[in-house]
Amino acid sequence: MAMSVEEVEAAIIEKATKSPKPQLYIKDFYKCDADRKPREIKKIANALVTKGELMFWSSGSTTMYARPDRIQNEEG
Amino acid sequence: MAKHDTPLLDELENGPWPSFVTDMKRQAETHPECWDILGQLELSFKDRITHWKHGGIVGVFGYGGGIVGRYSDKPEKFPGVEHFHTVRIAQPSGLYYSTKNLRALMDLWDKYGSGMTNMHGSTGDMILLGTRTENLEPLFWDLTHDLEQDLGGSGSNLRTPSCCLGESRCEWSCYDAQDVCYHLTMHYQDEIHRPAFPYKFKFKFSGCPNDCVASIARSDFALIGTWKDDIQMDQAAVKEYIAGNYPANGGAHAGRDWGPFDIKKEVLDLCPTNCMWMEGDELKIDNSECTRCMHCINVMPRALKPGKEKGATVCIGAKAPILDGAQFATMVIPFIEVSKDNEYENLIDVIEQVWDWWMEVGKNRERVGETMQRIGLPTFLKVMEVDAMPQHVKEPRSNPYVFWKEEEVEGGWERDVEEFRKKHAA
Repeated sequence: MAMSVEEVEAAIIEKATKSPKPQLYIKDFYKCDADRKPREIKKIANALVTKGELMFWSSGSTTMYARPDRIQNEEG
Repeated sequence: MAKHDTPLLDELENGPWPSFVTDMKRQAETHPECWDILGQLELSFKDRITHWKHGGIVGVFGYGGGIVGRYSDKPEKFPGVEHFHTVRIAQPSGLYYSTKNLRALMDLWDKYGSGMTNMHGSTGDMILLGTRTENLEPLFWDLTHDLEQDLGGSGSNLRTPSCCLGESRCEWSCYDAQDVCYHLTMHYQDEIHRPAFPYKFKFKFSGCPNDCVASIARSDFALIGTWKDDIQMDQAAVKEYIAGNYPANGGAHAGRDWGPFDIKKEVLDLCPTNCMWMEGDELKIDNSECTRCMHCINVMPRALKPGKEKGATVCIGAKAPILDGAQFATMVIPFIEVSKDNEYENLIDVIEQVWDWWMEVGKNRERVGETMQRIGLPTFLKVMEVDAMPQHVKEPRSNPYVFWKEEEVEGGWERDVEEFRKKHAA
């Protein structure tokens, strides 16, 4: 059965919390629900940024996602 | 008075050319942080290493693009450039500005930033160089509320779409490049302002094959105006060119005497497919061989014009060197209708077909042209549901093997070989 948006959100947050590196590419979230198209996953991840659960982290040329507490700790 | 000694940079002020060092010293009179740029750059010259750090959590609320974070790794020595973020502002279609708007933008940047600009970046945005993190939100508020302008794309976003002047000034434009550019900019606001892809993705729109925005060399999705039918020809005007009554090239390059106009030397012999010739004093064109190079039209604009059945060619996958070397876009769809009546629905379908595939199979930091190269054009054409055609063939095949697909083989992979051999002896 397809995962609900809430379940995908939870999977994305878990992935962003437990990944070895705090910054993740959007592609890293695709497997959170392999049945959804990448563009749908992107929309859910971007909505999580609006909710404050994730934040954008820019390398200058690429934009990545991170949990705010993890990235702020890293950047001091 | 100079805050830092910059003997190496001062060398760049010698000679007859304009110098960014001179410009920055002038700018430092009103924005003292510019001294620290010069000081840091002088140190980089000595150390032979950059002292800029890129990236971080810089941005404005709700946006994942438009600001590129930049910090000094020597903030104690150069406090003026401790933060020196870049702001990208979406340019107007065709780069039409009013002087009032330009002044307002410069006032805004004098207020919140260093005053230094790069007009324009290679994607087309207005690049404002150097501001501090705490200035970003007030700058964004004034930009969007007072000037009614927006940030452009950066990072793994759709980059700010750009276009030529199109039908606003050019009679060769085969579609309304500015309208397509504006429409898709509004349609894809989410993709422009928030990361969406494995890496950057650029749209560029050129109204005719002269390709004034160099879309074929610089954009992942290039839409280049073209026509299906014959070049429109005015034989009387051709005679006027031959007689020397009309200036060739619309009078461009007229600063020197090139001698009398020679249609054979200047047009016929330069046609890349040799599809033009004279029969008496009549110009003839084998339009089936024309590759839309535009040379004859550029030389004799009063005699020749693009055909009447207009549309565009879709080329995909150009890029500057990143992982691999620079590459031109590959022609994928030779002719597509471009119509505002359907709100460019057919273009949107093509774009999203590319995106759905690239987002799935593209590696992180891989441009779509690199993915196409890695996976191969035959697969990409299948994804795009485009039948291969001679124009897709870049060179004769060099691989002697033919890889059949199961559905192309009678009986598939499961057929009974013994049964087959009864009819076809080995």
